[in-house]
Amino acid sequence: MFLAADFVDQEGVARAILNLRAEGVSTTDLAVFSDEPIEFPRRVLHRPSRMSLAVVIGAVTSCLLVIGFVYFTQYNYPVVTGGMPIFSFWATGVVFYELTMLGAIVTTFFWFLGESGLLRRGSRGPAAVIESGAIALRVKCEPNRADIVRDLFERAGAKNVRTLGAAV
Amino acid sequence: MATASTVIRYEQVRRDLWRPLSGASSRYLVTLLVLSAVVVWGLCAWGYQLHKGIGVAGIRRPVFWGFYLVNFVFWIGISHAGTLISAILRLTDADWRKPVTRAAEAITVFALMIGGLFPIIHLGRAWLFFWLFPYPNSRLLWPNYRSPLFWDVTAISTYLMGSTIYLFLPLIPDVAQLAEHATGWRRRLYSALSLGWTGSDQQWHALERAMKLMAGIILAVAVSVHTVVSWDFSMSVAPMWHSSIFGPYFVVGAIFSGIAALLIVMAIIRRVMHLEQYLTPHHFNNLAKLLLLMSLLWLYFTIAENLTAWYGNEPKEMNVFGSRVRGHFAPYFWLMVFCNFVVPFVLLGIRRLRSIRTATIASVTVIIGMWLERFLIIIPTLSFGRLPAAWGRYAPTWVEISITAATFAAMGLLYLLFSKLFPIVSIWEFEPHEEPED
Repeated sequence: MFLAADFVDQEGVARAILNLRAEGVSTTDLAVFSDEPIEFPRRVLHRPSRMSLAVVIGAVTSCLLVIGFVYFTQYNYPVVTGGMPIFSFWATGVVFYELTMLGAIVTTFFWFLGESGLLRRGSRGPAAVIESGAIALRVKCEPNRADIVRDLFERAGAKNVRTLGAAV
Repeated sequence: MATASTVIRYEQVRRDLWRPLSGASSRYLVTLLVLSAVVVWGLCAWGYQLHKGIGVAGIRRPVFWGFYLVNFVFWIGISHAGTLISAILRLTDADWRKPVTRAAEAITVFALMIGGLFPIIHLGRAWLFFWLFPYPNSRLLWPNYRSPLFWDVTAISTYLMGSTIYLFLPLIPDVAQLAEHATGWRRRLYSALSLGWTGSDQQWHALERAMKLMAGIILAVAVSVHTVVSWDFSMSVAPMWHSSIFGPYFVVGAIFSGIAALLIVMAIIRRVMHLEQYLTPHHFNNLAKLLLLMSLLWLYFTIAENLTAWYGNEPKEMNVFGSRVRGHFAPYFWLMVFCNFVVPFVLLGIRRLRSIRTATIASVTVIIGMWLERFLIIIPTLSFGRLPAAWGRYAPTWVEISITAATFAAMGLLYLLFSKLFPIVSIWEFEPHEEPED
């Protein structure tokens, strides 16, 4: 089940997260909803990301594919060059560079979609609807621990503690 | 940060920035109509050219690159507004950029869409433009990857794709909020574009990481794009083109004209949409200083480019140089210097004169000056080639002038439609702040 509560400031959310984590709640079971990005210290809520690494891999893969493609297509048509090289790395360097960057751009976009959960709508749990300017904290917990979570929410200054419905 | 004390102010921000999205004044509709008419006229001119052939344009031996290529270079230059300004300021955490970035990023996407059309218009047989792309075909023929014109295709495609994503990503949280409040087709549109955004910390973190990465990538692409455009010229051994500084010279000119375009757009939307609280004199002052800096850099590159040609005294180069500074093209050359250096230097360099109005005036002159600069780079060299027997003059026809006018109208039209559909200032990025004293 999912429990959610509203907070008026970031400090309250941080207190609640620390209390919940001390009770053994995993960070993967926590979600903070807000109108704007909120930065928490790493000790409170850390969301590791492999986006940078993925972008580098995407760029390198794209570069290799493009080099292979250009090499293949240059030899695909039997141009008579009188012994001159058909494939020139440096004269096609701009093409490699631009399409390497295209690989990085496309990887960034799709990795963003994956990491943000926008591609996995069914598995990301219900969204907590918030009032403008407020911050909501949602916790996934076993039904038998709901009272403990409610208590921790209230001790951190939460308002409107509620149970959320089915996944969106 | 969202605290109880700023809740009301954020409500105000939303109200102010959503207000221009609803309804349409008669002035808006008239402007829309006029711009649409000019665009339709331009399309008719293009249709006429497609029907009759490229001969209806003024391009002929020896000047095979006329207005179309001038416009191509010009619009690709304007496209550097958003990405470079937005990306540089984002990477350096300049807080004042926040109300400015979306307006700039939209310029980039629209300018690229317009600029990218010109090589296709210039082709003559526009319906065969797909031959530019490498695709498996029965003739086993592939594009010449070593041609700078093919480099353009890859560079501009990459830049357009990157700029569109760079505009779209920070738009997602705003359209998600709009989707909650809109009705009818707007709700469907915003819901589809928001991709199911809920505002969870996981989504915010992913968005911020993606924006940081995109800023770095797009910066590298933007610099390369205008360098590649400059290489269309400098890779040929033509007088006054075969220059090693053409890359940075073009990039500086692009940023220069991009900032000018952004200032003009900001001044218009500030006035028309009543966004005086969001686009403040502070923003104009900062951008005006950037414009002044770029004007000085542009002058430095122009002198470096022309002085070396003049000092070298190579006869073929001197023919082109002479036509620019004291010959047929001299009025355009000196008007360009006046527009790109004298006006910005006086209006923006003297602090007492610097205001929103003067920054806008200087920006308009810079746009004129930068268009002339593109014209002066392309036409004189082709008019006065290495073989005096093949010298010739170029005069644009009504077809080229109509298509040129239509692209300016298209820019305005796209911007009008965009500003009616999406908040022109990024709402989630906007933080109410004390106005610093300039």
